[in-house]
Amino acid sequence: MQLTRRRALLGALAAPVVIPALAADTLVVNGYGGEYQDIIMKTTIEPFEKKFGVKVTYDNTGTAAENYAKIRAGRGAPGFDVAAELTPPEIILGNREALLERITEAEVPNLQYVWQTSRSLIPVNGVVHTYQYTALLWNKKHLDKPDSWTDYWAPGPKYGDKIKGHLIAFDPGNLLSIYALIMAAKLKGGSDENIDPAWDVLKAQKPWVGVSVTTSAAAAPYFENDQVWLAPYWSARAGYYAAANYPVDFCIPKEGTIGLGNCAAVPVGASNKKLAFEFINFRLDRDVQRAFNLAYHSSPGRPDITDWPADFIANQITTEAKMAAVDFPDSAMIGRKRSAWTRRWEEIMG
Amino acid sequence: MPTSIRRGSLPYLLIAIPAAFLLVCFVIPNAVLLSMGFIESDDTVPTGVLTLDNFSTLFHSALYVGAILRSFEVGIGAGVIVVLLAYPLAYFLVRTTSRWKTLLIAASLTPLLASVIVRTYGWWVILNREGAVNGLLSWLGVIDRPLALLPSTAAITIGLAHALLPYGVLTIMASLNGLNPNLERAAMSLGASRTRSFVAVTLPLSAPGIAGGFLLTFAIAISAYATPAILGGPGTQVMATVIRRFMLELLDWSLGSAMGVVLLVASLILLAATSAVSARRTTA
Repeated sequence: MQLTRRRALLGALAAPVVIPALAADTLVVNGYGGEYQDIIMKTTIEPFEKKFGVKVTYDNTGTAAENYAKIRAGRGAPGFDVAAELTPPEIILGNREALLERITEAEVPNLQYVWQTSRSLIPVNGVVHTYQYTALLWNKKHLDKPDSWTDYWAPGPKYGDKIKGHLIAFDPGNLLSIYALIMAAKLKGGSDENIDPAWDVLKAQKPWVGVSVTTSAAAAPYFENDQVWLAPYWSARAGYYAAANYPVDFCIPKEGTIGLGNCAAVPVGASNKKLAFEFINFRLDRDVQRAFNLAYHSSPGRPDITDWPADFIANQITTEAKMAAVDFPDSAMIGRKRSAWTRRWEEIMG
Repeated sequence: MPTSIRRGSLPYLLIAIPAAFLLVCFVIPNAVLLSMGFIESDDTVPTGVLTLDNFSTLFHSALYVGAILRSFEVGIGAGVIVVLLAYPLAYFLVRTTSRWKTLLIAASLTPLLASVIVRTYGWWVILNREGAVNGLLSWLGVIDRPLALLPSTAAITIGLAHALLPYGVLTIMASLNGLNPNLERAAMSLGASRTRSFVAVTLPLSAPGIAGGFLLTFAIAISAYATPAILGGPGTQVMATVIRRFMLELLDWSLGSAMGVVLLVASLILLAATSAVSARRTTA
């Protein structure tokens, strides 16, 4: 068939009609890359595509904050329909700036099964689909198991000089850093809201730190090449690396831990909201939750799944009693103070 | 008549298209973003209230003043290194009559062929504690313990100078190509040595190329992000890494934009000053 000028013109005129028709069956989901992407593709996205007969385009760029920056810059139309991995501070910002859709049981029926904690953790502009907590990860080849957050913040008494240069510090661009600072403050009489005592602890720890990074993914090569022996780390990735035969293990120190709700949200300018809500509902489905959490070593977004393997139960938040033992600081307060805390952290570590 | 009008307006039309592109895609978005620097934010949410507090916050922090000064240190350092390395290379490439001349010019531009990430990680491999430099010094018995070469301002400067060397070579080559070789010959015929004719004739006449190479390197280096992010650390931040942190990690667009304004204004002042000095020398 010859491509005449008339045919080309007709094709060009038809394109705006045809493209939205195709787009209606296409969903753009933004989430993390690496092992997370492999797992979510296999456990969630591929089954979703099969069940609904749609195509999901997976966008693996950016951290939670970076992806919220895209939502803000695009005034609610960042180019993806589902922000699959935001944290509570971004959901709170999305609520204040009216950039994220409200999500109720009308849009996402599986919301009726989520933890009670999830309802108080964030406003109605997001859904907590999984949980993690702040663990201490250590290198089994070089160190004994740490018992306390003191073993990380002041490692000398327990481990001696050999650990000098083998600690990693996360900067407050990562919530992990803020949660670890809160634990440091608590060691010295501070609290979630008053982390001032943590600054002296950070100053004293500085000579022991060998590497500073922002993202959890950036820390992974240092665990692998033996440069970092002790670190605060998200339980999911820690569990994943321990299971993947890295020489590491992880634990909750005796003073307790701080939990992180991993959230999903729909930007107000998403082009396929109906399918986006359907995806979030699917993410909370029992079987999908089970498959994803077992593979990623995260804790489920709903408490009514009980048939977990024993080793999973040992390390994850699976019951109301375990959930009650986890501290969840006020994310709105963290959002307010994060910039100032980061400047303070940089002044000390810079 | 209409034809002459069309002919007369053609140059304006040709300029109007790229000008409109620049206005829509560069000037307006940047103006909107930079204007945020003058807007107060309530816990990172912009309020719309005008303020200069963001600049006060930046200039009252030793950390951010340090980042501003370090950006200039890196920009000037990279500019000087590029000019010092690019000039002899450009001089050789212009004057050589070798049949390999084209190949040699292409070889001098090879840093542009590698991605900035690959190129910079190459320096990371060379300069880290277990890297080639420490390995060599240790093997020679010069050091007992590895030197902490990373993260450092020097590493950022070296990495950028390497990346930007081709810009210096091309700019200086263009300047040297424009010189009449007979001027140098005339100087020598009047008794000047080769060195004196170079210092008294060639070097001053190629000053615009030197200034151009320095300015181009400085302008790119002062706003570079990838190289400082990889070869620097929390103690060696520059303006671009600070801006990224404010905009994308802390979502504090007011402070990020304020730092953007500082970067833009400071760069323009230095570029204007350097251009003025260069123009005066050329005129003289």
